[in-house]
Amino acid sequence: MRHIIPKTYREALEHLKSGSLHILAGGTDLMVQNRAWSETPVAFKKDTLYVYNLEELRYIEREGDMLHVGALASYDMLERHPDTPSALKRCIALLASPGLRRVATLAGNIGNASPAADGVLVLYALDARVVLDSADATREIPIEEAITGPGRTAFEDGEMIREIRIPLEDFDSERFKKVGGRKADAISKVSFLGAAAFDGDVIKDLRLALGAVNTTVVRRREIEAQYQGLTAADLKARSQEIREAYAPYVRPIDDQRSTATYRRQVALNLIEDYIHSL
Amino acid sequence: MKKQDISRSIEKVDSREKISGAAAFTSDIKLDGMHYAKSVRSPIPRGRIKQVNLPSLPKGYVVVDHRDIPGENVVKMIHDDWPVFPKTEVAYIGEPILLVVGPDKEKVAELADAVEIEFEELEPTFGFTNSAIDLHYDKGDPDRAFETAARTVSYEYETGYQDQAYIEPQGFVGYLDEGTYTLVGSIQCPYYVKNAVLATMAADEDDVRVIQAPVGGAFGGKEEFPSLTATQLAVALRKVQKPIKFIYEREEDMIATTKRHPSKVRMEAALDENNNIQGLRAHVGLDGGAYLGLSGVVLSRGMLAATNAYTIDNVWVDGDVYVTNTVPNGAFRGFGAPQMIFAIEMFIHHVAKEVGEDTYTFRTRHQVSQGDLTSTGGVYRDPIILDEMSKKAEEISDYHRKRKEYEDPDTFKGIGMSWFLHGCGFTGSGEQEKIKARVKLKKDADGTVRILVAAVDMGQGPKTTFRKLVADVLDLPLEQVLFPYPDTRYVPDSGPTVASRTMMVVGGLLARAAKDLKESWREGEVQEAMQRYKQPDYIEWDQDRMKGDAYPAYSWGVNVVEVEVSKVTYEVDIKHVWSVYDLGKAIDERIVLGQADGGQAQGVVGLGYLEVMEHEGGALKQKNLTDYIIPTAVDMPKTENHIMDNPYPLGPYGAKGVGELTLVGGPPAVALAIEQAIGRRVRKAPVTPEYIMELIHNG
Repeated sequence: MRHIIPKTYREALEHLKSGSLHILAGGTDLMVQNRAWSETPVAFKKDTLYVYNLEELRYIEREGDMLHVGALASYDMLERHPDTPSALKRCIALLASPGLRRVATLAGNIGNASPAADGVLVLYALDARVVLDSADATREIPIEEAITGPGRTAFEDGEMIREIRIPLEDFDSERFKKVGGRKADAISKVSFLGAAAFDGDVIKDLRLALGAVNTTVVRRREIEAQYQGLTAADLKARSQEIREAYAPYVRPIDDQRSTATYRRQVALNLIEDYIHSL
Repeated sequence: MKKQDISRSIEKVDSREKISGAAAFTSDIKLDGMHYAKSVRSPIPRGRIKQVNLPSLPKGYVVVDHRDIPGENVVKMIHDDWPVFPKTEVAYIGEPILLVVGPDKEKVAELADAVEIEFEELEPTFGFTNSAIDLHYDKGDPDRAFETAARTVSYEYETGYQDQAYIEPQGFVGYLDEGTYTLVGSIQCPYYVKNAVLATMAADEDDVRVIQAPVGGAFGGKEEFPSLTATQLAVALRKVQKPIKFIYEREEDMIATTKRHPSKVRMEAALDENNNIQGLRAHVGLDGGAYLGLSGVVLSRGMLAATNAYTIDNVWVDGDVYVTNTVPNGAFRGFGAPQMIFAIEMFIHHVAKEVGEDTYTFRTRHQVSQGDLTSTGGVYRDPIILDEMSKKAEEISDYHRKRKEYEDPDTFKGIGMSWFLHGCGFTGSGEQEKIKARVKLKKDADGTVRILVAAVDMGQGPKTTFRKLVADVLDLPLEQVLFPYPDTRYVPDSGPTVASRTMMVVGGLLARAAKDLKESWREGEVQEAMQRYKQPDYIEWDQDRMKGDAYPAYSWGVNVVEVEVSKVTYEVDIKHVWSVYDLGKAIDERIVLGQADGGQAQGVVGLGYLEVMEHEGGALKQKNLTDYIIPTAVDMPKTENHIMDNPYPLGPYGAKGVGELTLVGGPPAVALAIEQAIGRRVRKAPVTPEYIMELIHNG
């Protein structure tokens, strides 16, 4: 196995031409997934490109109403940055442990494509987009197109994430709820992000996203759209209907962390409870 | 000068070396020419080994298996069913079959991966069906009590697996020192290890030496399992003739080492016309896993706690250990008592509800008093201050007011209380007949006194408390009394570090030895003082009929837990735990409070609510610390602990057992609080959000 440590982003992209490589930023998923006997090297099954020291990708910049998050910006940097959306900050405060947050990245979370990744859930709700570079092209795709299934992305060999673009919008209401096996340092059994913006008493923007209940994060723009233009009171009156509208998309599994029945019930409770809070 | 109260805390003598990282744990040991051993494990729950196909082994790499054992292929404990290396059959997923040993770790791992074993798979056994140990006792006339009952009430309770989740996995470093098998490891019981190795190696007493390294937590998990790894390592040392490091990875440790027994307990009460319990029947079932190990003793301690802190005149208790094709279960802080105390505390409560009585009054009416007969007809000889303790617990927690307020189902809040006892020291006549503990103090010419005992500091504090105790008796400064890590070459067998016996029994002997030494003290001379355990004359125990005094003394406790349950996610916010303990006398208050916090983390939060471990077809589903959830600091509620003095005449300065007491009563206290919050009867621990949801939706 080759371990490649490029000095520049350009050099990294050149290496990526050679085929399928692990791209390692913080390593908080890859190192665990490929762990080996203590005191022996990590057991990667593919050549690995270590991008962690590419300082040119370690940035968070605001440009008008858009936040540009470089691929190597850690969760810790995001949590401290003044322009990071509050919904993402709420999520980061409960994500993994302080040590992991120092090195883990949003880009890595996207690349790992776990349906239980809390950071990715927030990106779905905030209409984030992913900028991918290869040695000779660049493209930008919405987050829901970037992730295609558990551990699967739409990235081509040769591509890597340069940055994530998050539109900065104001919401009148926001709720992030992580349901893990314990209060801190746990992988989500279910996670939820709800956000809403009002024009007076009328809902002008409603966003609901659920994590760990399907192969990818669940966000249904068509359902959200149906309820825009209603007053909060009308919306609350229809909370049961909204709950039922999401039911077909909540298709969790039984695993070592929880049961499908529990995840389903809690995911739908979270939606209903959020609607009632508006 | 007036002496300070012994309970007054001092800095733990090993805090600095542990916090700074200076302490050398087993994995920190590096020896010249050191080899590494790795286990090849069974991937199936039950099967016959048909053939072992080894890769070609480079020079210096060897495979060690049952053919290399010079003595008995049995891990010497109580029963002879647990092989050092299985010869023909495997009995659980993760069972270690052979070792690959060599100088380079990567190569050893590669070779271990390349070993292919062909099995003929056999139908595995799971669940509570295949009984291998059946115990029974009774008291009074239980048949008559049930025949004449005005009514009977019965319930069944369950608890799950629990992993000790010590920070440091199991491990040893071994080497041959002029022909002596020398094993340095993370252990609780140096002499258990030594005796097991002697049998397997057919060696002479002086050919085996066991040394305790600093231990990164044990909680019972390093009571019997190290006897397996040590015997395997000794067999490998004999073949390889090089120093070998043999340390389990976390996942190996989780799939292959002993856990707390899952339990099923059926309880039945016979009530008279005034709703007094005149008879109790209990059946205690433990899932023993693949090999018996200590399961019979665990069952016995569980059964003995059947009446907990209540006096019931007519009792019938039966228990079984069921053998299954799963990881062997064994010692874990509490040793069968947490399962039983969960059942009886929930049951007392459920019986009261069934007959429409206030649960608190109902308990109080059945509460034990000094002079009452125990479940096995022994006598509670020493003063019992449970009344005072429960009053204190009510007062500091505002129990009665909250209990009333939270009856309103809309609050989704609850408060629960448990009362409990824990028998101190070995069950029955174990101390007298099996352990026969001996301790030694050795004084050098310069007046330095060394404590020579086999008791292990695994975080619970004897490195500090024994020195404090002996120094206090001898009127010496702490620095003049040393307690080196136990080494069987120098220390007598003072018994295993288990059963909350360390301070009460070993410490008791040390205090007496120190008194002897003080009385015979001669300046400038080398002197020794020995003491041997002698059971008090009034203790009578019939092991076969399980009758008489099961324990020389009891510690007591009350836990109160307050919770709030989320209606949306069914998660429990454990808000506060209040505890009152009678452990005789604290030898160091802060160390006792540390035990209380730890016991509550494992008992209230862990076993009561958070820690889930299950198997599917014999394969554990939670096999690392990502999936096996133990409490973090954030999950810990506020705690308030009160220690009440009630000195036990035969304990040093009155001390009784501490370590297990702080865990055993936790699960029912949190379960009863959750029960009130959700208005449903809880019959299973841990009371997980998944179970709470099920109860709310299905009753």
